[in-house]
Amino acid sequence: MDMGIGLWCLQSTATSPRSFGQAYQELAEDARLAEDNGIHSLWLSEHHGYYDGYCPALMPAAGAALAATESLQIGTGVLLLPLHEPHRVANAANLLNEQSSGRFQLGVGMGYRPVEFEIKERDMSHRLKLMNAGLDVLRTTTQTPTWVGISSEKAAERAGRRGLGLFISGAFSKDVVNTLIRAHRTAWAKSDPIEDTPPPVGLLRNLWIVDTEAERRRALDWVRSSYLVYAGLGWGADNTGVDFVSQIETSMDEVEKSATVGSAEEIAAELDGYDVDLVVCRIGYDQPPRTALTEVIERIGRELTPLVQDIGVQR
Amino acid sequence: MRLLLDLRHISEPAERERLAREADENGIWGVVVTGPQGGECVEASAIATTTHHVTIVVDVDGNDVHPTTLAEEISVLDQITQRRTMVIFRGTSTSKATLATLLSGLPSQGVILSPPPAQASIPTHSPEDIPQTKLPEDVTQLAAIIDQYRDSQTAFLIVSWERPIKELARHAVGRAASADFPQMVADMADQIDPIG
Repeated sequence: MDMGIGLWCLQSTATSPRSFGQAYQELAEDARLAEDNGIHSLWLSEHHGYYDGYCPALMPAAGAALAATESLQIGTGVLLLPLHEPHRVANAANLLNEQSSGRFQLGVGMGYRPVEFEIKERDMSHRLKLMNAGLDVLRTTTQTPTWVGISSEKAAERAGRRGLGLFISGAFSKDVVNTLIRAHRTAWAKSDPIEDTPPPVGLLRNLWIVDTEAERRRALDWVRSSYLVYAGLGWGADNTGVDFVSQIETSMDEVEKSATVGSAEEIAAELDGYDVDLVVCRIGYDQPPRTALTEVIERIGRELTPLVQDIGVQR
Repeated sequence: MRLLLDLRHISEPAERERLAREADENGIWGVVVTGPQGGECVEASAIATTTHHVTIVVDVDGNDVHPTTLAEEISVLDQITQRRTMVIFRGTSTSKATLATLLSGLPSQGVILSPPPAQASIPTHSPEDIPQTKLPEDVTQLAAIIDQYRDSQTAFLIVSWERPIKELARHAVGRAASADFPQMVADMADQIDPIG
Protein backbone atom coordinates (compact mmCIF):
# COMPACT_ATOMS: atom_id res chain seq x y z
CA MET A 1 0.00 0.00 0.00
CA ASP A 2 1.01 3.62 -0.52
CA MET A 3 1.38 6.11 2.31
CA GLY A 4 -0.03 9.60 2.06
CA ILE A 5 -0.36 12.40 4.57
CA GLY A 6 -3.31 14.62 5.43
CA LEU A 7 -5.34 16.54 6.08
CA TRP A 8 -3.96 19.97 5.29
CA CYS A 9 -6.79 22.36 6.22
CA LEU A 10 -4.80 25.63 6.28
CA GLN A 11 -6.48 26.78 9.48
CA SER A 12 -5.64 29.31 12.16
CA THR A 13 -7.46 27.83 15.13
CA ALA A 14 -8.19 29.18 18.57
CA THR A 15 -5.89 26.51 19.97
CA SER A 16 -2.98 27.31 17.66
CA PRO A 17 -3.35 30.70 15.97
CA ARG A 18 -1.06 31.59 13.07
CA SER A 19 -1.17 33.78 9.99
CA PHE A 20 -2.89 32.37 6.93
CA GLY A 21 0.04 33.46 4.81
CA GLN A 22 2.24 31.22 6.93
CA ALA A 23 -0.22 28.33 6.59
CA TYR A 24 -0.14 28.49 2.78
CA GLN A 25 3.62 28.94 2.70
CA GLU A 26 4.03 25.87 4.92
CA LEU A 27 1.77 23.86 2.61
CA ALA A 28 4.38 24.19 -0.15
CA GLU A 29 7.21 23.43 2.29
CA ASP A 30 5.43 20.36 3.67
CA ALA A 31 4.69 19.10 0.17
CA ARG A 32 8.39 19.37 -0.76
CA LEU A 33 9.38 17.61 2.46
CA ALA A 34 6.91 14.80 1.82
CA GLU A 35 8.21 14.40 -1.71
CA ASP A 36 11.83 14.36 -0.59
CA ASN A 37 11.01 11.56 1.85
CA GLY A 38 9.22 9.30 -0.61
CA ILE A 39 5.65 9.87 0.52
CA HIS A 40 3.01 9.09 -2.09
CA SER A 41 0.56 11.94 -1.61
CA LEU A 42 -0.63 14.93 0.39
CA TRP A 43 -4.35 15.52 0.88
CA LEU A 44 -6.24 18.76 1.45
CA SER A 45 -9.59 19.25 3.17
CA GLU A 46 -12.43 21.73 2.67
CA HIS A 47 -15.02 23.58 4.73
CA HIS A 48 -16.72 26.92 4.29
CA GLY A 49 -17.41 29.95 6.42
CA TYR A 50 -15.73 28.72 9.59
CA TYR A 51 -13.95 31.21 11.83
CA ASP A 52 -10.54 29.54 11.50
CA GLY A 53 -10.27 29.90 7.73
CA TYR A 54 -10.59 26.16 7.09
CA CYS A 55 -9.68 26.06 3.41
CA PRO A 56 -12.79 26.74 1.29
CA ALA A 57 -11.06 26.54 -2.12
CA LEU A 58 -8.93 23.46 -2.59
CA MET A 59 -8.10 23.81 -6.27
CA PRO A 60 -5.86 26.91 -5.99
CA ALA A 61 -4.20 25.36 -2.92
CA ALA A 62 -3.60 22.13 -4.86
CA GLY A 63 -2.18 24.22 -7.70
CA ALA A 64 0.35 25.79 -5.34
CA ALA A 65 1.38 22.42 -3.86
CA LEU A 66 1.70 20.81 -7.29
CA ALA A 67 3.75 23.72 -8.61
CA ALA A 68 6.10 23.36 -5.64
CA THR A 69 6.75 19.64 -6.30
CA GLU A 70 7.66 17.27 -9.11
CA SER A 71 6.48 13.78 -8.21
CA LEU A 72 4.18 14.03 -5.17
CA GLN A 73 0.50 13.37 -5.76
CA ILE A 74 -1.84 16.04 -4.38
CA GLY A 75 -5.42 15.10 -3.52
CA THR A 76 -8.58 16.65 -2.19
CA GLY A 77 -9.83 14.72 0.78
CA VAL A 78 -12.51 15.81 0.17
CA LEU A 79 -13.94 18.58 -2.00
CA LEU A 80 -17.62 19.08 -1.14
CA LEU A 81 -19.09 18.60 -4.59
CA PRO A 82 -22.71 19.68 -3.91
CA LEU A 83 -21.39 23.11 -2.90
CA HIS A 84 -19.64 23.68 -6.23
CA GLU A 85 -20.53 23.99 -9.90
CA PRO A 86 -19.36 20.61 -11.24
CA HIS A 87 -18.27 21.88 -14.67
CA ARG A 88 -15.89 24.31 -12.93
CA VAL A 89 -14.53 21.50 -10.74
CA ALA A 90 -13.92 19.37 -13.83
CA ASN A 91 -12.16 22.23 -15.63
CA ALA A 92 -9.92 22.91 -12.64
CA ALA A 93 -9.15 19.20 -12.18
CA ASN A 94 -8.23 18.85 -15.84
CA LEU A 95 -5.96 21.88 -15.65
CA LEU A 96 -4.26 20.61 -12.48
CA ASN A 97 -3.60 17.28 -14.13
CA GLU A 98 -2.30 18.92 -17.28
CA GLN A 99 0.04 21.18 -15.32
CA SER A 100 1.33 18.37 -13.11
CA SER A 101 1.55 15.50 -15.60
CA GLY A 102 -1.24 13.58 -13.90
CA ARG A 103 -0.41 14.13 -10.22
CA PHE A 104 -3.81 15.39 -9.10
CA GLN A 105 -6.36 13.17 -7.33
CA LEU A 106 -9.93 14.41 -6.95
CA GLY A 107 -11.67 13.26 -3.77
CA VAL A 108 -15.26 14.42 -3.41
CA GLY A 109 -17.85 14.24 -0.63
CA MET A 110 -21.33 15.50 0.15
CA GLY A 111 -20.86 17.90 3.08
CA TYR A 112 -22.95 17.95 6.22
CA ARG A 113 -22.96 21.50 7.65
CA PRO A 114 -26.24 23.33 7.02
CA VAL A 115 -24.51 26.70 7.14
CA GLU A 116 -22.33 25.76 4.18
CA PHE A 117 -25.37 24.97 2.07
CA GLU A 118 -26.96 28.24 3.20
CA ILE A 119 -23.85 30.20 2.16
CA LYS A 120 -24.03 28.64 -1.31
CA GLU A 121 -27.84 29.00 -1.43
CA ARG A 122 -28.38 25.29 -1.92
CA ASP A 123 -30.94 23.02 -0.29
CA MET A 124 -29.10 20.58 1.93
CA SER A 125 -31.94 18.06 1.65
CA HIS A 126 -30.99 17.79 -2.04
CA ARG A 127 -27.35 17.07 -1.39
CA LEU A 128 -27.47 13.45 -2.61
CA LYS A 129 -29.17 14.59 -5.81
CA LEU A 130 -26.59 17.36 -6.22
CA MET A 131 -23.79 14.89 -5.54
CA ASN A 132 -25.01 12.40 -8.15
CA ALA A 133 -25.58 15.15 -10.71
CA GLY A 134 -22.08 16.41 -10.04
CA LEU A 135 -20.59 12.93 -10.44
CA ASP A 136 -22.44 12.59 -13.75
CA VAL A 137 -20.79 15.79 -14.98
CA LEU A 138 -17.35 14.68 -13.78
CA ARG A 139 -17.73 11.30 -15.50
CA THR A 140 -18.16 12.92 -18.91
CA THR A 141 -15.78 15.86 -18.53
CA THR A 142 -12.69 14.68 -16.70
CA GLN A 143 -10.30 11.74 -16.69
CA THR A 144 -8.95 12.78 -13.30
CA PRO A 145 -8.82 9.85 -10.83
CA THR A 146 -11.87 10.40 -8.63
CA TRP A 147 -12.46 9.12 -5.11
CA VAL A 148 -15.64 9.44 -3.05
CA GLY A 149 -15.60 10.05 0.68
CA ILE A 150 -18.04 7.62 2.27
CA SER A 151 -19.20 6.42 5.66
CA SER A 152 -21.91 3.86 4.80
CA GLU A 153 -22.29 0.64 2.79
CA LYS A 154 -24.87 2.27 0.53
CA ALA A 155 -22.48 5.07 -0.33
CA ALA A 156 -19.70 2.53 -0.92
CA GLU A 157 -21.97 0.63 -3.30
CA ARG A 158 -22.87 3.80 -5.18
CA ALA A 159 -19.20 4.60 -5.67
CA GLY A 160 -18.51 1.02 -6.77
CA ARG A 161 -21.28 1.06 -9.36
CA ARG A 162 -19.80 4.24 -10.79
CA GLY A 163 -16.30 2.77 -10.86
CA LEU A 164 -15.00 5.44 -8.48
CA GLY A 165 -12.41 5.07 -5.73
CA LEU A 166 -13.26 5.15 -2.03
CA PHE A 167 -11.93 7.51 0.61
CA ILE A 168 -12.87 6.05 4.00
CA SER A 169 -13.09 7.97 7.26
CA GLY A 170 -10.47 7.30 9.90
CA ALA A 171 -12.77 6.46 12.78
CA PHE A 172 -13.93 3.00 11.63
CA SER A 173 -12.65 -0.35 12.92
CA LYS A 174 -10.83 -2.75 10.63
CA ASP A 175 -13.97 -4.93 10.32
CA VAL A 176 -16.14 -1.98 9.32
CA VAL A 177 -13.54 -0.75 6.83
CA ASN A 178 -13.27 -4.14 5.17
CA THR A 179 -17.08 -4.46 5.09
CA LEU A 180 -17.29 -1.13 3.26
CA ILE A 181 -14.60 -2.27 0.83
CA ARG A 182 -16.42 -5.54 0.14
CA ALA A 183 -19.63 -3.64 -0.59
CA HIS A 184 -17.70 -1.35 -2.93
CA ARG A 185 -16.01 -4.17 -4.83
CA THR A 186 -19.16 -6.28 -5.09
CA ALA A 187 -21.12 -3.36 -6.54
CA TRP A 188 -18.25 -2.61 -8.91
CA ALA A 189 -18.06 -6.24 -10.10
CA LYS A 190 -21.82 -6.31 -10.74
CA SER A 191 -21.62 -3.19 -12.88
CA ASP A 192 -19.95 -5.03 -15.78
CA PRO A 193 -16.81 -2.93 -15.57
CA ILE A 194 -14.46 -2.48 -18.49
CA GLU A 195 -11.41 -2.30 -16.21
CA ASP A 196 -9.62 -5.41 -14.95
CA THR A 197 -9.00 -4.11 -11.45
CA PRO A 198 -11.41 -2.51 -9.00
CA PRO A 199 -11.14 1.21 -8.28
CA PRO A 200 -8.68 2.13 -5.50
CA VAL A 201 -9.48 2.49 -1.83
CA GLY A 202 -7.89 5.04 0.49
CA LEU A 203 -8.15 5.01 4.27
CA LEU A 204 -7.73 8.04 6.47
CA ARG A 205 -6.09 7.16 9.79
CA ASN A 206 -5.08 9.19 12.84
CA LEU A 207 -1.49 8.09 13.07
CA TRP A 208 1.80 9.13 14.68
CA ILE A 209 5.19 7.45 14.96
CA VAL A 210 6.65 7.56 18.49
CA ASP A 211 9.45 5.89 20.43
CA THR A 212 8.47 6.36 24.07
CA GLU A 213 5.36 6.23 26.23
CA ALA A 214 5.65 9.98 26.90
CA GLU A 215 5.69 10.69 23.16
CA ARG A 216 2.73 8.37 22.74
CA ARG A 217 0.70 10.25 25.35
CA ARG A 218 1.60 13.55 23.75
CA ALA A 219 0.57 12.33 20.28
CA LEU A 220 -2.74 11.04 21.62
CA ASP A 221 -3.38 14.41 23.23
CA TRP A 222 -2.89 16.00 19.81
CA VAL A 223 -5.40 13.54 18.35
CA ARG A 224 -7.91 14.46 21.08
CA SER A 225 -7.27 18.13 20.48
CA SER A 226 -7.76 17.72 16.75
CA TYR A 227 -11.15 16.19 17.41
CA LEU A 228 -12.08 19.19 19.52
CA VAL A 229 -11.16 21.47 16.61
CA TYR A 230 -13.14 19.26 14.24
CA ALA A 231 -16.10 18.99 16.59
CA GLY A 232 -16.35 22.76 16.54
CA LEU A 233 -17.44 22.45 12.94
CA GLY A 234 -20.15 20.01 13.95
CA TRP A 235 -21.58 22.15 16.73
CA GLY A 236 -23.35 24.18 14.12
CA ALA A 237 -24.86 21.09 12.51
CA ASP A 238 -28.08 19.67 13.86
CA ASN A 239 -28.57 16.70 11.56
CA THR A 240 -25.33 14.73 11.66
CA GLY A 241 -26.59 12.19 14.17
CA VAL A 242 -23.86 13.23 16.57
CA ASP A 243 -24.42 15.36 19.65
CA PHE A 244 -21.02 16.99 19.57
CA VAL A 245 -21.41 19.06 22.72
CA SER A 246 -22.68 16.54 25.26
CA GLN A 247 -20.63 13.67 23.85
CA ILE A 248 -17.36 15.48 23.46
CA GLU A 249 -15.38 13.49 26.07
CA THR A 250 -16.83 10.17 24.90
CA SER A 251 -16.11 11.04 21.29
CA MET A 252 -12.57 12.10 22.07
CA ASP A 253 -12.04 8.78 23.91
CA GLU A 254 -13.29 6.91 20.83
CA VAL A 255 -11.07 8.90 18.49
CA GLU A 256 -8.12 8.20 20.75
CA LYS A 257 -8.90 4.47 20.67
CA SER A 258 -9.04 4.47 16.87
CA ALA A 259 -5.70 6.27 16.55
CA THR A 260 -2.69 4.28 15.43
CA VAL A 261 0.24 5.48 17.51
CA GLY A 262 3.46 3.54 18.02
CA SER A 263 6.73 2.58 16.42
CA ALA A 264 6.86 2.24 12.65
CA GLU A 265 6.90 -1.56 13.09
CA GLU A 266 3.84 -1.50 15.36
CA ILE A 267 1.96 0.73 12.94
CA ALA A 268 2.87 -1.45 9.96
CA ALA A 269 1.57 -4.51 11.85
CA GLU A 270 -1.67 -2.65 12.63
CA LEU A 271 -2.14 -1.63 8.99
CA ASP A 272 -1.61 -5.21 7.80
CA GLY A 273 -5.07 -6.62 7.16
CA TYR A 274 -6.56 -3.46 5.72
CA ASP A 275 -7.36 -4.30 2.12
CA VAL A 276 -6.60 -0.80 0.87
CA ASP A 277 -4.36 0.81 -1.75
CA LEU A 278 -3.53 3.91 0.24
CA VAL A 279 -3.40 4.99 3.86
CA VAL A 280 -3.56 8.73 4.43
CA CYS A 281 -1.85 9.38 7.74
CA ARG A 282 -3.81 12.07 9.47
CA ILE A 283 -1.07 14.21 10.96
CA GLY A 284 -2.24 17.67 9.97
CA TYR A 285 -3.23 18.58 13.52
CA ASP A 286 -2.95 22.14 14.67
CA GLN A 287 -1.21 21.58 18.00
CA PRO A 288 2.05 19.74 17.31
CA PRO A 289 5.03 22.06 17.07
CA ARG A 290 6.41 22.46 13.57
CA THR A 291 9.47 20.38 14.43
CA ALA A 292 7.26 17.44 15.47
CA LEU A 293 5.26 17.66 12.25
CA THR A 294 8.31 17.73 10.00
CA GLU A 295 9.87 14.87 11.97
CA VAL A 296 6.83 12.65 11.58
CA ILE A 297 6.63 13.41 7.85
CA GLU A 298 10.25 12.27 7.51
CA ARG A 299 9.63 9.14 9.60
CA ILE A 300 6.48 8.16 7.68
CA GLY A 301 8.46 8.41 4.47
CA ARG A 302 11.68 6.79 5.58
CA GLU A 303 10.55 4.26 8.21
CA LEU A 304 6.91 3.38 7.63
CA THR A 305 6.62 3.50 3.85
CA PRO A 306 9.20 0.73 3.23
CA LEU A 307 7.48 -1.50 5.83
CA VAL A 308 4.02 -1.31 4.24
CA GLN A 309 5.03 -1.58 0.60
CA ASP A 310 4.10 -5.25 0.46
CA ILE A 311 0.82 -5.19 2.39
CA GLY A 312 -2.68 -4.19 1.34
CA VAL A 313 -3.67 -4.04 -2.30
CA GLN A 314 -0.87 -4.58 -4.81
CA ARG A 315 -1.30 -3.01 -8.25
CA MET B 1 0.52 54.15 -14.93
CA ARG B 2 1.44 50.52 -14.35
CA LEU B 3 1.98 47.93 -17.04
CA LEU B 4 0.38 44.50 -16.97
CA LEU B 5 1.95 41.91 -19.27
CA ASP B 6 -0.74 39.88 -21.00
CA LEU B 7 -0.07 36.13 -20.71
CA ARG B 8 -3.63 35.05 -21.46
CA HIS B 9 -2.87 34.13 -25.07
CA ILE B 10 0.22 32.03 -24.25
CA SER B 11 -1.01 28.46 -24.60
CA GLU B 12 2.07 26.60 -23.36
CA PRO B 13 2.21 26.46 -19.51
CA ALA B 14 6.01 26.34 -19.38
CA GLU B 15 6.24 29.42 -21.61
CA ARG B 16 3.73 31.28 -19.43
CA GLU B 17 5.77 30.49 -16.35
CA ARG B 18 9.02 31.56 -18.05
CA LEU B 19 7.55 34.89 -19.10
CA ALA B 20 6.05 35.44 -15.65
CA ARG B 21 9.43 34.78 -14.04
CA GLU B 22 11.10 37.23 -16.41
CA ALA B 23 8.46 39.84 -15.68
CA ASP B 24 9.04 39.19 -11.97
CA GLU B 25 12.81 39.56 -12.31
CA ASN B 26 12.62 42.70 -14.45
CA GLY B 27 10.18 44.75 -12.43
CA ILE B 28 7.06 44.50 -14.57
CA TRP B 29 4.20 45.48 -12.25
CA GLY B 30 1.74 42.73 -13.16
CA VAL B 31 1.02 39.74 -15.35
CA VAL B 32 -2.49 38.88 -16.57
CA VAL B 33 -3.44 35.20 -16.51
CA THR B 34 -6.60 33.21 -16.95
CA GLY B 35 -7.73 29.62 -17.44
CA PRO B 36 -10.79 27.57 -18.28
CA GLN B 37 -13.79 28.55 -16.17
CA GLY B 38 -13.04 27.34 -12.65
CA GLY B 39 -9.36 26.96 -13.42
CA GLU B 40 -8.43 30.65 -13.46
CA CYS B 41 -7.17 30.70 -9.88
CA VAL B 42 -5.42 27.35 -10.41
CA GLU B 43 -3.42 28.92 -13.22
CA ALA B 44 -2.74 32.03 -11.15
CA SER B 45 -1.64 29.87 -8.22
CA ALA B 46 0.93 28.06 -10.35
CA ILE B 47 2.31 31.40 -11.58
CA ALA B 48 2.40 32.75 -8.03
CA THR B 49 4.47 29.80 -6.87
CA THR B 50 7.22 30.55 -9.40
CA THR B 51 7.32 34.34 -8.79
CA HIS B 52 7.94 36.64 -5.82
CA HIS B 53 7.13 40.26 -6.61
CA VAL B 54 4.91 40.61 -9.68
CA THR B 55 1.18 41.21 -9.18
CA ILE B 56 -0.93 38.32 -10.45
CA VAL B 57 -3.94 39.72 -12.27
CA VAL B 58 -6.46 36.92 -12.65
CA ASP B 59 -9.11 37.25 -15.34
CA VAL B 60 -12.16 35.31 -14.10
CA ASP B 61 -15.45 34.28 -15.65
CA GLY B 62 -18.11 35.07 -13.06
CA ASN B 63 -20.99 33.53 -14.98
CA ASP B 64 -22.58 30.27 -13.79
CA VAL B 65 -20.78 30.36 -10.45
CA HIS B 66 -21.91 31.44 -7.01
CA PRO B 67 -20.08 34.71 -6.25
CA THR B 68 -19.07 33.40 -2.83
CA THR B 69 -17.35 30.39 -4.42
CA LEU B 70 -15.40 32.69 -6.71
CA ALA B 71 -14.56 35.02 -3.82
CA GLU B 72 -13.29 32.06 -1.76
CA GLU B 73 -11.01 30.99 -4.58
CA ILE B 74 -9.62 34.50 -5.02
CA SER B 75 -9.16 34.98 -1.29
CA VAL B 76 -7.19 31.73 -1.04
CA LEU B 77 -5.19 32.84 -4.09
CA ASP B 78 -4.37 36.11 -2.31
CA GLN B 79 -2.98 34.10 0.62
CA ILE B 80 -0.89 32.03 -1.80
CA THR B 81 0.39 35.09 -3.70
CA GLN B 82 1.00 36.90 -0.41
CA ARG B 83 -1.02 40.00 -1.28
CA ARG B 84 -0.17 40.04 -4.99
CA THR B 85 -3.66 39.37 -6.38
CA MET B 86 -5.77 41.65 -8.58
CA VAL B 87 -8.98 40.66 -10.39
CA ILE B 88 -10.56 41.26 -13.77
CA PHE B 89 -14.14 40.12 -13.41
CA ARG B 90 -16.41 39.13 -16.29
CA GLY B 91 -20.02 38.82 -15.21
CA THR B 92 -23.07 40.69 -14.03
CA SER B 93 -22.78 43.94 -12.13
CA THR B 94 -24.67 42.38 -9.23
CA SER B 95 -22.19 39.54 -8.95
CA LYS B 96 -19.30 41.95 -9.28
CA ALA B 97 -20.66 44.08 -6.45
CA THR B 98 -21.00 41.01 -4.22
CA LEU B 99 -17.52 39.85 -5.14
CA ALA B 100 -15.97 43.26 -4.50
CA THR B 101 -17.66 43.49 -1.10
CA LEU B 102 -16.42 40.06 -0.06
CA LEU B 103 -12.92 40.76 -1.37
CA SER B 104 -12.87 43.91 0.76
CA GLY B 105 -13.26 41.73 3.83
CA LEU B 106 -16.82 42.88 4.39
CA PRO B 107 -19.93 40.70 4.79
CA SER B 108 -22.37 40.30 1.95
CA GLN B 109 -25.82 38.97 2.85
CA GLY B 110 -24.45 37.66 6.13
CA VAL B 111 -21.49 35.87 4.53
CA ILE B 112 -17.91 36.88 5.23
CA LEU B 113 -14.83 35.26 3.74
CA SER B 114 -12.75 32.95 5.88
CA PRO B 115 -9.86 33.10 5.33
CA PRO B 116 -10.15 36.78 4.53
CA PRO B 117 -8.10 38.24 1.69
CA ALA B 118 -4.47 38.83 2.66
CA GLN B 119 -4.72 42.40 1.34
CA ALA B 120 -7.00 44.90 3.02
CA SER B 121 -9.01 44.79 -0.19
CA ILE B 122 -8.37 42.94 -3.45
CA PRO B 123 -8.72 45.33 -6.41
CA THR B 124 -11.56 44.13 -8.65
CA HIS B 125 -12.01 45.57 -12.13
CA SER B 126 -14.24 45.02 -15.11
CA PRO B 127 -12.52 44.32 -18.45
CA GLU B 128 -13.57 47.76 -19.74
CA ASP B 129 -11.80 49.45 -16.82
CA ILE B 130 -8.37 48.53 -18.14
CA PRO B 131 -7.32 49.32 -21.72
CA GLN B 132 -5.11 46.89 -23.56
CA THR B 133 -2.77 47.26 -26.48
CA LYS B 134 -0.16 45.40 -28.49
CA LEU B 135 3.05 47.37 -28.20
CA PRO B 136 5.12 47.84 -31.37
CA GLU B 137 8.79 46.86 -31.65
CA ASP B 138 9.81 50.35 -32.75
CA VAL B 139 10.91 52.28 -29.68
CA THR B 140 9.66 55.64 -30.94
CA GLN B 141 6.20 54.25 -31.66
CA LEU B 142 6.19 52.44 -28.34
CA ALA B 143 7.05 55.67 -26.51
CA ALA B 144 4.23 57.53 -28.23
CA ILE B 145 1.67 54.91 -27.24
CA ILE B 146 2.83 54.74 -23.64
CA ASP B 147 2.85 58.55 -23.37
CA GLN B 148 -0.68 58.73 -24.75
CA TYR B 149 -2.14 56.31 -22.20
CA ARG B 150 -0.12 57.74 -19.30
CA ASP B 151 -1.14 61.31 -20.05
CA SER B 152 -4.82 60.33 -20.23
CA GLN B 153 -4.69 59.31 -16.55
CA THR B 154 -4.81 55.58 -17.21
CA ALA B 155 -4.02 53.62 -14.04
CA PHE B 156 -3.22 50.28 -15.67
CA LEU B 157 -2.42 49.24 -19.23
CA ILE B 158 -2.47 45.62 -20.38
CA VAL B 159 0.23 45.10 -22.97
CA SER B 160 1.02 42.30 -25.39
CA TRP B 161 4.74 42.09 -26.08
CA GLU B 162 6.63 39.58 -28.18
CA ARG B 163 10.22 40.76 -27.62
CA PRO B 164 12.46 40.20 -24.58
CA ILE B 165 10.80 41.18 -21.31
CA LYS B 166 13.88 43.14 -20.24
CA GLU B 167 13.43 45.37 -23.28
CA LEU B 168 9.86 46.13 -22.20
CA ALA B 169 11.09 46.84 -18.72
CA ARG B 170 13.89 49.12 -19.92
CA HIS B 171 11.88 51.20 -22.38
CA ALA B 172 8.31 51.14 -21.12
CA VAL B 173 8.08 50.73 -17.34
CA GLY B 174 9.82 53.99 -16.39
CA ARG B 175 8.08 55.86 -19.20
CA ALA B 176 4.70 54.57 -18.02
CA ALA B 177 5.50 55.73 -14.50
CA SER B 178 6.77 59.21 -15.27
CA ALA B 179 6.44 61.98 -17.89
CA ASP B 180 10.11 62.90 -17.47
CA PHE B 181 11.45 59.47 -18.39
CA PRO B 182 15.00 59.97 -19.78
CA GLN B 183 14.80 57.97 -23.01
CA MET B 184 18.47 58.73 -23.62
CA VAL B 185 19.43 56.59 -20.61
CA ALA B 186 17.46 53.63 -21.94
CA ASP B 187 19.03 54.10 -25.38
CA MET B 188 22.51 54.26 -23.87
CA ALA B 189 21.75 51.14 -21.84
CA ASP B 190 20.95 49.38 -25.12
CA GLN B 191 24.46 50.27 -26.27
CA ILE B 192 26.24 49.35 -23.04
CA ASP B 193 24.18 46.26 -22.20
CA PRO B 194 22.49 45.00 -25.38
CA ILE B 195 19.49 42.76 -24.81
CA GLY B 196 19.31 39.45 -26.62
